[in-house]
Amino acid sequence: MEPLKYIGKRIPEIYAWAKVTGEAPFTDDLRLPGLLFGKILRSPHAHARIRSINTSRALELPGVVTVMTGTDTPGIKYVAQISDMYPLAIDKVRYVGDPVAAVAAETEEIAEEALALIEVDYEPLPAVFDPCEALLDGAPLIHEDRINNLVLNMKRDFGNVDEGFAQSDRVFEDQFSTQAVPHCNMEPRSSAAWKNPDGVLQIWTGTQSPYFVRKEVAHVCNLPISSVQVMEVHCGGGFGSRSKYCEDEGVTALLAIRSGRPVRITFTREEEMTTTRIRHPFILRIKTGVKLDGTLMAREMQVIVDKGAYCHYGPAVTGYAAGTAASSYRIPHFRFNGDIVYTNKQAGGPFRGFGAPQAIFAIESQLDEIAEVLGIDPLELRVKNANRSGDLTPCGWAITTCGLEECLEKVSQAINWKERQKGPKEGRYRQGKGLATAIHVSGSNVFPDGEFSAIELKMFIDGRVSVYKGSGDTGTWANTVITQIVAEELQLPMESIRLISMDTETTPQSLGSFASRVAFEDGNAAKMAAAQLKTFLLESAAAALQVSMDALFLQDGMIVYREDPSKTLSYGDSVFRSPRTVGHILTSAYHYVPPTVRLTPKGYANVSAAYAFSAQGAEVVVDTQTGEIQVKRLVVAQDVGKALNPIAVEGQIEGALAQGMGYALTEELIVDRTTGKVITDCLDRIMLPTAMDIPDESIFLVETQDPEGPYGAKGVGEIGLNPTAAAIANAIYDAVGFRPHKLPIKAEEVYFFLHPEKR
Amino acid sequence: MKHIRLQINGVWRTGWANPGQTLLDFLREELNCTEVKKGCGKGDCGACTVIMNGISIDSCLTLALQAEGAEIITAKGLGTKDNPHPLQEAFIEKGAFQCGFCTPGMILSAKALLDKNPKPNREEIRRGLSGNICRCTGYRKIEEAVASASERSSNQSDDRELKDQ
Ligand code: FES
Ligand code: FES
Repeated sequence: MEPLKYIGKRIPEIYAWAKVTGEAPFTDDLRLPGLLFGKILRSPHAHARIRSINTSRALELPGVVTVMTGTDTPGIKYVAQISDMYPLAIDKVRYVGDPVAAVAAETEEIAEEALALIEVDYEPLPAVFDPCEALLDGAPLIHEDRINNLVLNMKRDFGNVDEGFAQSDRVFEDQFSTQAVPHCNMEPRSSAAWKNPDGVLQIWTGTQSPYFVRKEVAHVCNLPISSVQVMEVHCGGGFGSRSKYCEDEGVTALLAIRSGRPVRITFTREEEMTTTRIRHPFILRIKTGVKLDGTLMAREMQVIVDKGAYCHYGPAVTGYAAGTAASSYRIPHFRFNGDIVYTNKQAGGPFRGFGAPQAIFAIESQLDEIAEVLGIDPLELRVKNANRSGDLTPCGWAITTCGLEECLEKVSQAINWKERQKGPKEGRYRQGKGLATAIHVSGSNVFPDGEFSAIELKMFIDGRVSVYKGSGDTGTWANTVITQIVAEELQLPMESIRLISMDTETTPQSLGSFASRVAFEDGNAAKMAAAQLKTFLLESAAAALQVSMDALFLQDGMIVYREDPSKTLSYGDSVFRSPRTVGHILTSAYHYVPPTVRLTPKGYANVSAAYAFSAQGAEVVVDTQTGEIQVKRLVVAQDVGKALNPIAVEGQIEGALAQGMGYALTEELIVDRTTGKVITDCLDRIMLPTAMDIPDESIFLVETQDPEGPYGAKGVGEIGLNPTAAAIANAIYDAVGFRPHKLPIKAEEVYFFLHPEKR
Repeated sequence: MKHIRLQINGVWRTGWANPGQTLLDFLREELNCTEVKKGCGKGDCGACTVIMNGISIDSCLTLALQAEGAEIITAKGLGTKDNPHPLQEAFIEKGAFQCGFCTPGMILSAKALLDKNPKPNREEIRRGLSGNICRCTGYRKIEEAVASASERSSNQSDDRELKDQ
């Protein structure tokens, strides 16, 4: 086999120059002729009935083009997983920030002024912010059709859990809780739309999944899907926040239709932080049975998911938490009970990890407890129970390749785990080390929309290729990696390849950029489409040169005869001559469907074609006088299958670590318990890590060469965040004996633990 | 409304500014300098960083009127594709960006740092970038890029000195 020329290489991003100069266009950078500025009026109440809305004063303001309330729209709710939200509230508002009306005006200032002139008569209703209280009889009902505010109850039962507990020597029960976190993409959400003269509603929006956007927008605007077109634009960070649809696109589209002009809505930072779909807070009860030798026998997890006001993709997130809990380490029996509960708060949605970080925090913290009680080294306990290649987990995940043991080995060596000081530490500043691991999908077959990616290639008579890719690239370098794959297969320089993505009119449909699926699934589609195009080129060249196809090879745009390298044909000439060429374009396309099974209602299926693994080690120092926690070092060994572009892979891991550290220690969306207003409504208050906070990091890429992945690759986007908080929590326990049961882990809690008399 | 005149990347430009308008909004909306990004509008993120009269500022905290007659540098003005700035080269080579939204501001903060302190140590680099938030990269590659740009520039000036001799 020829050595790889583009795959596995540290190749710069394809948009690099545009990004370092700032010229890569994000939605708010587009200049559409006649553009109107849209603004959304939002509820000041956490829960209220809308008695009436008077827009006449706003409409009179010069420069206002249109004002729209829920009753001016087709009155259709978003599809989501459970259809429960209108683009603009019609009957009730359910959280502080719920969209109530929208304005389009000639300038942003006028739009803002107009908002202040809209009079809404609210009848405030009692609100509930705590999911446990929301479940009680007599709690205010947020959606009238949901008894006890229960969106739904999710049950999973695999094996025989009771028997597993009966066979256990010890059973451990613990409770943990995690917080809400906003994604804090640096680009505040922005979408622009207009209905073009042909009647096509065109939308520009930084999204991970243009086809989900198209589906939802067409639905709420009551238009056929094919008359909505999502257009290509850069996206300033996804992390799940733009993985399905965001509610601003629907409002923008409705304003554009109503006003007959292009409209753009760009969120303020405050809107971005207080009204978008955040990471769900979980309350987790976990019960685990073990043998004295550390063998895990059974696990039961009960979670309460604080859904906030609307369902969005809450059930999928909860289901994935269940899958993760069933599959983290070898567990023969598993049971899960999840209550997804409405509260009068900003709703949750997908966020990097998709429910896994919450579950893993509980699992890994408890695993350390188990190790301590049984007197087993935490590393040994993990190695003993680690997943292995060939395992079938209780919920049906079929693990083909697994590098977890090697990952654990690498991490423990790097942090000198075996030589660490065990037991209680001395002195003011105490060091501690902690471990945690994760398993994650590479694409996940859970949606009725299907699980597939498609790539289309067109080669022109100048020998250049255009790649049409349906999913978005939110900055993950996905488009670069796909270009590398095409370059490799066609032996064509990166510069000769152009990639067009996320244009629903020109790119074939793909599910989108989420679930760590693009490099894997779009990657496979690209590889196969390119391999097919290669065959077409060779076939045409073989006829032209009158030699057999196998005697030819591709080299930088030329098809070369092996026996006599002076005999060549350019790709362009080959395209020109091919009988498959239509209109001087040689086309190849591939629709990749991974060998997976759609998730069943009972939660059993092999949802992914490959599973990635990560082991992480954290070293912290705790100041016993203040409780302050400093992360000194994070070490990651990740089973990436094959690193298609090591810069991109490291970038994903480093970014995930920073987010994981923030999740562990600082980031929290705090809601005022009397008003329901978000207190942490600006970047200054959410405490994201800055360059000053980043610890030393070591990253090891473990390449297990997955048989189904393109060149052996697995998904890498999310898993880097999943175990970080747990590793840090375990390191804190190792340092000072404080077991965090709650995220984020606050210095004052450590302080009060160490100085109980001060509480 | 006031008519103001200022230099952007060496070119004189004019435009109308409202009394309360921020330099950021003026640059983006009036002059179409969309390479200057708005991440918060409150001085919390650094995405809007520009260099004004040699000093890096948050353009969202500066009034447009204050920029009358000023020399402004944006990320677009640092170099050309054929003759890139060492920071641009280093950011590209190290992969110091993902979505690219924070990048123009980040590069300008790095430039301001290197202009003042051509050989910063790691701590100084981190401090120099601490006003710029990046949610994607985790900062490691940015820090590496700035260190590498600092080396590159000093090598270049060493080369120049050698040639001069
Ligand atoms: S936009 Fe100026 S600091 Fe964020
Ligand atoms: S690269 Fe996306 S915020 Fe920095």
